Amino acid sequence: MFRPESWYWLYDIPPARLAGLFIAAFVGFYWLGAIIIRPILRQFVKHTASCNDIVGYVLSCFCVFYGLLLGLIAVTAYQNVADANENVTREAAALSALYEDVSRYPAPYGQNLRWLLRDYTRYLIKYGWPLQQRGIVPEEGTIRAEAVHDQLLEFQPRTPAEEIVHAEALRQFNNFLECRRMRLFSVTSALPASMWYVMILGAVFNIAICWLFDMRFLTQLILGGILAAYLGMMMHLIFDMNQPFRGDVSITAEPFEMLYARMNEG
Amino acid sequence: MDRDDIPPGMTAQPLSRRAALRHGAATTLAAARLLAPALFVGCSTGIPPRQQTVSVGLLHSQTGTTAVGGRSLRDIEMHAFERINAAGGILGRRVEISAPNPRSRSELRVAKARQMLDRGAVAVFGCWTSGARKSVLPLFEEYKRLLLYAVQYEGNESSPYCVYGGMTPNQQILPLLDWLTGAAGGEKKRIFLVGSDYVFPRTANFITKKYLKEKGLVPVGEEYVPLGDRNFSAVVKKIREAPADCVINTVNGDSNIGLFAALAEAGIEPAWLPVISTSIAEDELRSLLPEQVVGHYAASCYFQSLDTDANRQWVKGFQNEFGYDRVTGDPLEPAWCLVHLWQQAVEKAGTFETEAVRQAFREGLEFAGPGGRVRLDPKTQHTTKYFRLGQIRPDRQFHIVHQSRGPIEPDPYPQIAFPGWSCDWTQDGVVRGAEVDIDGDV
Repeated sequence: MFRPESWYWLYDIPPARLAGLFIAAFVGFYWLGAIIIRPILRQFVKHTASCNDIVGYVLSCFCVFYGLLLGLIAVTAYQNVADANENVTREAAALSALYEDVSRYPAPYGQNLRWLLRDYTRYLIKYGWPLQQRGIVPEEGTIRAEAVHDQLLEFQPRTPAEEIVHAEALRQFNNFLECRRMRLFSVTSALPASMWYVMILGAVFNIAICWLFDMRFLTQLILGGILAAYLGMMMHLIFDMNQPFRGDVSITAEPFEMLYARMNEG
Repeated sequence: MDRDDIPPGMTAQPLSRRAALRHGAATTLAAARLLAPALFVGCSTGIPPRQQTVSVGLLHSQTGTTAVGGRSLRDIEMHAFERINAAGGILGRRVEISAPNPRSRSELRVAKARQMLDRGAVAVFGCWTSGARKSVLPLFEEYKRLLLYAVQYEGNESSPYCVYGGMTPNQQILPLLDWLTGAAGGEKKRIFLVGSDYVFPRTANFITKKYLKEKGLVPVGEEYVPLGDRNFSAVVKKIREAPADCVINTVNGDSNIGLFAALAEAGIEPAWLPVISTSIAEDELRSLLPEQVVGHYAASCYFQSLDTDANRQWVKGFQNEFGYDRVTGDPLEPAWCLVHLWQQAVEKAGTFETEAVRQAFREGLEFAGPGGRVRLDPKTQHTTKYFRLGQIRPDRQFHIVHQSRGPIEPDPYPQIAFPGWSCDWTQDGVVRGAEVDIDGDV
């Protein structure tokens, strides 16, 4: 049975090379089919008058549905990446606001909390992000978030001003936790296997219909190859956006890196 | 090409599938022959080769009573391994760090240690209190893997599967008593002992009482509070009533906040009643109010204020990595040294296998740490240490008022307290002496 995650090793291949591989695979499949399968398929339409018109009509109908499907899936995948990206930015913003809030705490709480937030950010950049890029949910960030929570709850405000700052810090912390949780969910979020079935079978049908055209062999190879190359590019694009933290179209740790640099300015 | 342009004798024909295949195959083969050297000889695939890894565990509580020290130890050990990895790893392998959180809870600590060992950790650096170390040590003996413990401890223990990087009593308690009862320390005679109620303070105080007895002295008081307790008003009342002329403080963790607050509230000044702490470093000082602690002392092997190039460079490296206001301190320096001593042992052994690494300990490993050169004693699997006494400054750092002339050899069984006991892992291991009752009469 086809399991999309069993193909995730492909993300380890550099993006340009992976795109080339997708295109080569689709074009290769088309050409191979044109050599081996096309003569068999052509038996069905060989002596039909104006067979190219019929094949062209079927292909047009098919392409409408398949194009719509691919387009919608590509948009969904992109939206998924965009949402996760926005979430990451919101998490970094909440962390930044929290860092500012706890800077107003008296010693040693303020310093402890600043250290803990820096520690969380550093872990995320150095350890968490590389794990996410491998599709693994980083576990030890939770420990660091818990440490921040414990330290926040340990602080007992003594003045009305401290109460206001503490309430705001707790609100920011909850924001941060919410964004963090959503980021962790999106690490493993991906298109379901059934969508991949439909996409791959659709591509195979698309190519198979093209094999039915009656034309010069070289023209068949060139025109069909162009179509297959474009299909490969589309598949690569969707595969690339399939997981928000993997591949070329993925979310970087830049918001956290900028925040960490600011935290260390002193 | 127009049909008219065809030379005489030749006919234009559409390219047949067979002909296309023949031409295509010939062209492909020719291209492959031409391009093969460029494609396959000396060309990188562009994919960085995956370096082999080795798993190492860090067992430090990151929440709970001992979290402040635990987190700092975790950070310095991660820093050490990050640098090792940046330099190519150990035996060509990148060290993968696993740092779960035992939450300062004994049952979780054992479970996390077991989990790390089951997942193949070749060694674990960890534990803060002696109770923590003792709770997991049987596990390391069962799995025959190494636990590397960086915090000062009470001695009276030796395990072939533990490397002790912190100070033993003969490197901390005994030099402190020498100083305190000598001219430099003001020849103190009325010493009060206060500690947390667990194995380190009780054993350290047992050794202290034995030592004082030899000098014809008796502590004027001895009090213990549960670990984590902050109510010291009754203890401070007893200190005043004794009356003591100095306090040796083996209280651990956050409880020190309560102790120093109570001392300050009682109007006790370091000028006439100094408190010498054995478990306070720069990290703990951050939680203590300077006005309550300035002038008191701490006995240690290392202080951040140590004025050497090696130390300044080390502190700067740590702060560059973890933040401009981070502090180093006693257990951090031994932890750093332990990581590098273990690295040396593995590289000497040429393998991560525990018995081979232990064998490498026998070759006498040395490391130039930020606090001075340390040597791993092959007999005891403890390290040599400087003894340093620091007086607390208003900037939450220490002014070093005394330092031993050179590194002190480790002795987990000081004969004054444990007669007949000794340890030599190059020979027969632990030689047992007379039974000692830590809680009994001295």
